[in-house]
Amino acid sequence: MADERVKVTIDGKEHEVQKGSNLLEACNAAGANVPFFCYHPGLSSPAVCRQCLVEVKGAPKPVPSCYTQCTDGMVVETKSEKALDVRRQMLEFTLVNHPIDCPICDKAGECMLQQQYFDWDGKYARNEGIKYRKAKTVDIGKHIVLDQERCILCTRCIRVCDEVAKAPELTMAKRGSSEVLTTAPGKRLDNPYSLNTVDVCPVGALTSKDFRFQMRAWELESTPSVCTGCATGCNVEIHASRGQIYRMIPRDNAAVNKHWMCDEGRFTYKPVHQHRAAVPVVGGAPVAWDTALDEAGRRLKAVLQSEKDRVGVVFNANSTNEDLHVLARLAFDHLGIARAYVAGRDQGSSDDILISADKNCNTAGVRAIGGTKLKSLVDLASDVKSGAIAALIVVGDDGVLGSGGRDGLDALPLNQLETLIVLASHSGALTDSAHVVLPMALWAELNGTFTNKLGMVQRVHKAIDPAGDSLPGWEILCHLSRRLDAAIDFDSARAVFVEAKQKYSFMIGAEWGRVHLPIQLRFAASRG
Amino acid sequence: MSAAEDTSLTPRRIVIGIQDKSDLDAPELPSDPMPLNMGPSHPAMHGTVRMVLEVVGEKIASADVQVGYLHRCFEKESEYATWTQIFPYTDRLNYVSPMLNNVGYALAVEKLLDIDKKVPERAQYIRVIVGEIARACDHMTCLGAGGMELGAFTAFLYMVKAREWLWELLEEISGARLTHSFVRVGGVTGDLPDGWAEKLRAKIVDVRRVLAEVDGLLTRNRIFRDRMDGLGIITKEQAASYGITGPVARATGLDYDVRKDYPYLVYDQFDFDVPVGSVGDNFDRYACRVEEIQQSLRIVEQALDKIPAGPIVMADPRIVLPPKTETYNTIEAMISHFKLIMDGIHVPAGEIYSFTEGGNGELGFYVVSDGTGRPWKLHCRAPSFANTAIMPSLLPGHFIADIVPIFGMINMIGGECDR
Repeated sequence: MADERVKVTIDGKEHEVQKGSNLLEACNAAGANVPFFCYHPGLSSPAVCRQCLVEVKGAPKPVPSCYTQCTDGMVVETKSEKALDVRRQMLEFTLVNHPIDCPICDKAGECMLQQQYFDWDGKYARNEGIKYRKAKTVDIGKHIVLDQERCILCTRCIRVCDEVAKAPELTMAKRGSSEVLTTAPGKRLDNPYSLNTVDVCPVGALTSKDFRFQMRAWELESTPSVCTGCATGCNVEIHASRGQIYRMIPRDNAAVNKHWMCDEGRFTYKPVHQHRAAVPVVGGAPVAWDTALDEAGRRLKAVLQSEKDRVGVVFNANSTNEDLHVLARLAFDHLGIARAYVAGRDQGSSDDILISADKNCNTAGVRAIGGTKLKSLVDLASDVKSGAIAALIVVGDDGVLGSGGRDGLDALPLNQLETLIVLASHSGALTDSAHVVLPMALWAELNGTFTNKLGMVQRVHKAIDPAGDSLPGWEILCHLSRRLDAAIDFDSARAVFVEAKQKYSFMIGAEWGRVHLPIQLRFAASRG
Repeated sequence: MSAAEDTSLTPRRIVIGIQDKSDLDAPELPSDPMPLNMGPSHPAMHGTVRMVLEVVGEKIASADVQVGYLHRCFEKESEYATWTQIFPYTDRLNYVSPMLNNVGYALAVEKLLDIDKKVPERAQYIRVIVGEIARACDHMTCLGAGGMELGAFTAFLYMVKAREWLWELLEEISGARLTHSFVRVGGVTGDLPDGWAEKLRAKIVDVRRVLAEVDGLLTRNRIFRDRMDGLGIITKEQAASYGITGPVARATGLDYDVRKDYPYLVYDQFDFDVPVGSVGDNFDRYACRVEEIQQSLRIVEQALDKIPAGPIVMADPRIVLPPKTETYNTIEAMISHFKLIMDGIHVPAGEIYSFTEGGNGELGFYVVSDGTGRPWKLHCRAPSFANTAIMPSLLPGHFIADIVPIFGMINMIGGECDR
């Protein structure tokens, strides 16, 4: 039964599909381009918008294809005069009370209503009545504003809350032209997945407070990436323009996050533009890269020559696999350093939907690459206190080195170190104490791979240029290695990836993938 | 060619090739070949062409004609502009007759949309009227400037005066003297203003008077004829093999005019003649253009007589911007406006080559659409480019001073040739 195949005739052509599969999906897989509002591949189909009506032979009237199962011998017409006509009438009906908001609507340019009208209707208005007014700005949740006028009552957002977030917070109230989307009295749309309702909203009814009025959608450039907020590694698209990230939205991946991501993850782009360490620093003064690298090399060499076992290295569970591989080669293969530690962000809340307690995006990678050599931060604190470490190389920021950031760092007597070299993306207590600061690019600014908690090696692409003079971690480490006579030489992250893939079993089968340059959303549909 | 029987029509005898010294007027002085740069910054090079000449004395041994100084990435830019945003770019192709470029490009897109037969008839008549005015202006500029380059400054001033009258009329309907951007996919941007047709009829009378005056100044002017007759002869076969079109081709006797051979718009509704030459020299090119101006004015007069009433654009909100009252008051028109401006007209995937008779010949647009609001590829078949291509083989054997009238009558327009 499960894999029984049936023959369905769509627009005169016979197609073989699985019995009981969704007729809308079958039609669109066959290239029929049947429009829809309420249907969403990740949600149930209630057939409320009536935009996917098609003619099925034998049925007394057009049927909503998203709600119809394929059966053997079905004959479907998606572009018959009647089907087109009823869909056009439904669209006209949907538009009757829609406000004339396009110029001020955040969804304009990526709005399904605009798209469907332009593709399928293309008629002037016949209705000269006054539009039904509703509330324009309802502060409905922590991250979201609702415009009830724009809502076309498709109920996608309600189903996201019910079916994905398991938090039934939204509902429809009233009837007819007065029908509105709302929450129960006194309740708010506050679940950890609330911003998915903004993504699925086909129009501009639900808008994100963070993105609202910030940027026109079609000006944004999209780059595929991976969320670095926790070990789940949800696939995302970074939407940026002129070096500034404006939002992150989920990218479909059935094996990881399907169509969704959590609200927390959406704001992980914020630190990319905050408190960045943008220039190399030696002794508190900004210097050129060569000066900083020479100084770092000189200081490390001095310790390495006399007291090799007093040099420590701190790996970061948020570095890319490529950065980790170069660091491992430098520390273990070339310098023979025994004192290696792993740093990472503190554990946090979790659920059984997408959010992991481990808030580091590459724990699996750092464990596999560093192996059993990596000791904990507790060991680091005691080793620094006891004076067992004279020189320390740290890859990371305040946040990963001690719980609670600056406060946590107080437990580490960094001022006891003779040499502290930090590869950091953000300035803070750690960079303030460092003798040499080497500014490092962040995940949105580089090409690389992360390994999520399922062991999947996932690729991030460069969306924006690195802040200031910062460079990717692997490149800084290559430059540093030359100052330490180790001469690790790579010309690209891809070259590091290729070498690492030979060495580590967890990367078997991983592919670097093709180049994804940022592409403007206005072209994304056709030129991707 | 033997000695002249009829002095007024037979070309002066000229010698191609520098070896045959016996036929020269003056004995050739011994001279070594010398390289000579002409242009790109030279008044007779239209500011945009560089000719690297090898001269022996005053005679040209070889000419390397280098175009591209006015390259503006028209074709590449077009891939990033919506179908409608390209109209201002087309204005800058042959900038002496922008209306013809507007029309040519609009027709290409309309054919791809399969609406070329649905464009309102009044719009088609308006396109013919403005197009033929543009053609007349184009030829008047060419002839006037051609005369001026040979010292006949009066002819230039007269011609430009007449051109200005017509340009004022084009300005009245489009708002711009030169960069009209008047045509749109699906129609034109504005109707003829009240009383415009009468003004045009009156100006046509005035223009004809100016043409007669200039005819008297140039056509039988000995100085002018000496620089035109028998120089820069292009044969019919050469014209065909170089892809030369327009007045330059017709001057050779090649009877090809897109308006007659492949009628578009409503050109099959008019009675007009296509003048052809017999020798293919500078003077034939001059004479063809003079006659074409007259024919264009004839077409304009007929079009003014026949123009029907009715809409000037299609009423399809997916192709033409809705009226502003609709846009501001209905969501349907607002969406349409938004999508047309931001996304562009959704032209079905496909490719087409559409060609019209431009000022200098066959102006073609090869358009490829991938179904989006912007061309996937747009190529302009610029008549000036093909016409200029013959220059390197045309010039050797002529005097340096002959370059000016030959190049003037080829009428290379940088904006169109270099795109």
